[in-house]
Amino acid sequence: MELFVQLLANTLQIGAVYVLFALGLTLIFGVMKIVNFAHGAFFTAAALIVTSVVPFATVELGVPLWAGYLLAAIVAIVVVLCLGALVYSIGFQHVLKDLNGSFILSIGLLLILNGAYLAIYGGAPRTVPQVLPGTVSIFGAALTAQRLALVIVAAVVTGGLYLLIERTRLGLALRAVAMDQEAAMLQGMPFNRVALYGFLIGAALAACAGVLMAPINAVTPVSGDEFLIKAFIIIIIGGLGSVTGAIIGGLFIALIESMGGYFFDPSTATLAMFILVIAFLLVRPQGILGNVE
Amino acid sequence: MWNRLPGVWICVAIAIASVLFALLATNAYYTSLVVWVLTNAVLASALRFVLQIGELNIATAAFFGIGAYTTAITAVLLGWPFWLTLLLAPLVAGALSALFGWVTLRTKGPYFLLVSFAVTEVVRLIYTQTNAIGGNSGLVGMFPPMAIDAYYPALAVALLAATLFALYGVERSDLGRLFKAIENNDAIPRSVGLNVVLLKVLCVVIAGSAVGLAGGLHAYANNVIAPSDFTFFVAILALAYVKIGGEGHALGPVLGAALLTLVGQWVAGISAWENIFYGAVIVVTLLVFPGGLVGLAARARGLVTRSAR
Repeated sequence: MELFVQLLANTLQIGAVYVLFALGLTLIFGVMKIVNFAHGAFFTAAALIVTSVVPFATVELGVPLWAGYLLAAIVAIVVVLCLGALVYSIGFQHVLKDLNGSFILSIGLLLILNGAYLAIYGGAPRTVPQVLPGTVSIFGAALTAQRLALVIVAAVVTGGLYLLIERTRLGLALRAVAMDQEAAMLQGMPFNRVALYGFLIGAALAACAGVLMAPINAVTPVSGDEFLIKAFIIIIIGGLGSVTGAIIGGLFIALIESMGGYFFDPSTATLAMFILVIAFLLVRPQGILGNVE
Repeated sequence: MWNRLPGVWICVAIAIASVLFALLATNAYYTSLVVWVLTNAVLASALRFVLQIGELNIATAAFFGIGAYTTAITAVLLGWPFWLTLLLAPLVAGALSALFGWVTLRTKGPYFLLVSFAVTEVVRLIYTQTNAIGGNSGLVGMFPPMAIDAYYPALAVALLAATLFALYGVERSDLGRLFKAIENNDAIPRSVGLNVVLLKVLCVVIAGSAVGLAGGLHAYANNVIAPSDFTFFVAILALAYVKIGGEGHALGPVLGAALLTLVGQWVAGISAWENIFYGAVIVVTLLVFPGGLVGLAARARGLVTRSAR
C-alpha cells in the first residue's frame, strides 16, 4: 500500500510537469495547426533565467530566497512571453496552417535558440538552491515539500487554463478557431490575434513548467528537449489539440514511467512508452480525444 | 533540367567526374568528403521522395541506421562476404520500411510526422539497450576487403549517384505521377480504383531502401558506427538540405546537401555556433526564399518550374 501511494505520488509530480508542457504544445497545435519543435526552448529559457536571477537577487539585492525565486519566476515568464511574441511575429505568423513549413521553421528556431543558450550559459548543469526545504508525508509516502508545491501549482495553472478555455471569450475564440478557422473568421474573429494569444499562452505554460522544474532538477541548455519527446507522445495519445487529452495523456505517461522505472529500469520504461504509442495508433490513430479530419 | 534531356546528361557527367575524383584523388579527406556529400544527398532525396506523397518521414534517419547496422552486424559479427553485407542493407531497410509503412501510413500529416519521430527514437533506444551489437558504443571494424579498399570511395560514390538517378527515374515515371496525385488529393486516385495505402507504402519502401544502401555504404566508409549517429537529427539535417536546395525539383536536395555539407565542414568545431548557423540558414531560407536554390534559379530565369508547392 505504501509503495503504491509512493508510486502514485511520483506519478503526480512527474505528470504535473508533463501536463503543463503538453498543454502548451496541444494548444498551439489546436489553434495554429503547427507542430512546434521549439516548444522546449521556452521551457529551457525560463529555467535558465531562474538559475541566473535567483543568485543575482539573493546576493546582489539581498532579498530572501523565496522573494528572489518569485522575482525570477516573473522575469522568466515575461522574458519568455517577449521571446514568444518575437518568434511568432518574425516566423510562425507566416507559416500558419502549413504543417511542413512550420515544422521546419520550428526546427531552425530550436537550433538557433539552443545554440544561443549554449553560447551564453555554456553546457555545464546549473542549479538553484532549494526554495522549500523539508519533506512531507502523505499516507506514508514521502514527498519533498518542493515537489508537493510543484504539483499544487501545476494543478492550479491547469485548472486556470481549463477555466480560461471553457468560460472566457478568449477561450471561446480559441476553441472556435481550433474547430474551424474559416468559419471563425467569417464570424469576425481576428484569426491572427487569436493565434498569437494561443501561442503566447502555450509559451507561458512551458515557462511555468521551466520555472517549477529549475529548483528540482539541474538545468542545461537542452533540458527542455527531453520533455519535448515525451510531450509529443502525450499529445499523440491524448489527441492533437485536445486539452483534456493532454491532461489524461500526461498522467498516463507519468504512470508508465514511474511504474516501469520502479519495476524494471528507466530505459525499458521509455522503450515501453514508445512501443505503446505505436500500438495505440494502430487501434486509434486520432488519439483518445482527437477528431478525425 | 525539367523536361529537358541535356540537364540529365550534365548530371551524369558530374556523377562520372565525382567517381573519377574519388578514384584518382590521393587526399583521403577529400575523397571521404565526396562520399559524405553524396550520402547526405541520398538522405535528402529520400526525404523529399516521401514528401511527394505529402508526408514528412523522420524515420528516414532510422532506416539509414538500420542499413548501417545491418551491414555492420553481418560484416563484423557474422563475417559474411562484403557484397552480401552491402546487398542486405537496402533489403533489410526496405523490408522494415514496408512493415513501418503498413503500420503507420494509416495516419497522416502531424500524426505520421510524430509517429515517424517516435519510431526513430525507439530504434535508437533498441541499439543502446542491446549489448550484442555494442550498446551505446556501437560497432567497430567494418573494412572493405583489401582488393577493393583502394577503390572503395569510388565504388560508394558510384552506387550513391546511381541511387540518386534511380530515385529521379521513379519520380519521372508513371509511379511518380501517382505519388504526386496522392499528395494533391488522395480521394481522386482512390476513386479510380487505386490502392492508395499500398502506393504510399511503396513510396516509403523505395525511400527506405535507398537510405538503407546509403547506411550500408556509410558503415564501410566510416569503419565505426554508434547509435548517436542515427538520431532524428539526421532527418532534420536532411530536411534542411531539402529546404535550402528547394523541394520543387529532384536536383534541389542534392544541391542543398552539397552546399551545406561543404559549408558545414568550415563552421564545424564550435557546436554552439554550428547550431546557430544551421538554424539561421533554415529560418532565413524558409522565410525569404521558400523555393530554395532551385526556386531561386527558376525565378531568375522567369520560369515557374515549382511543381506542386
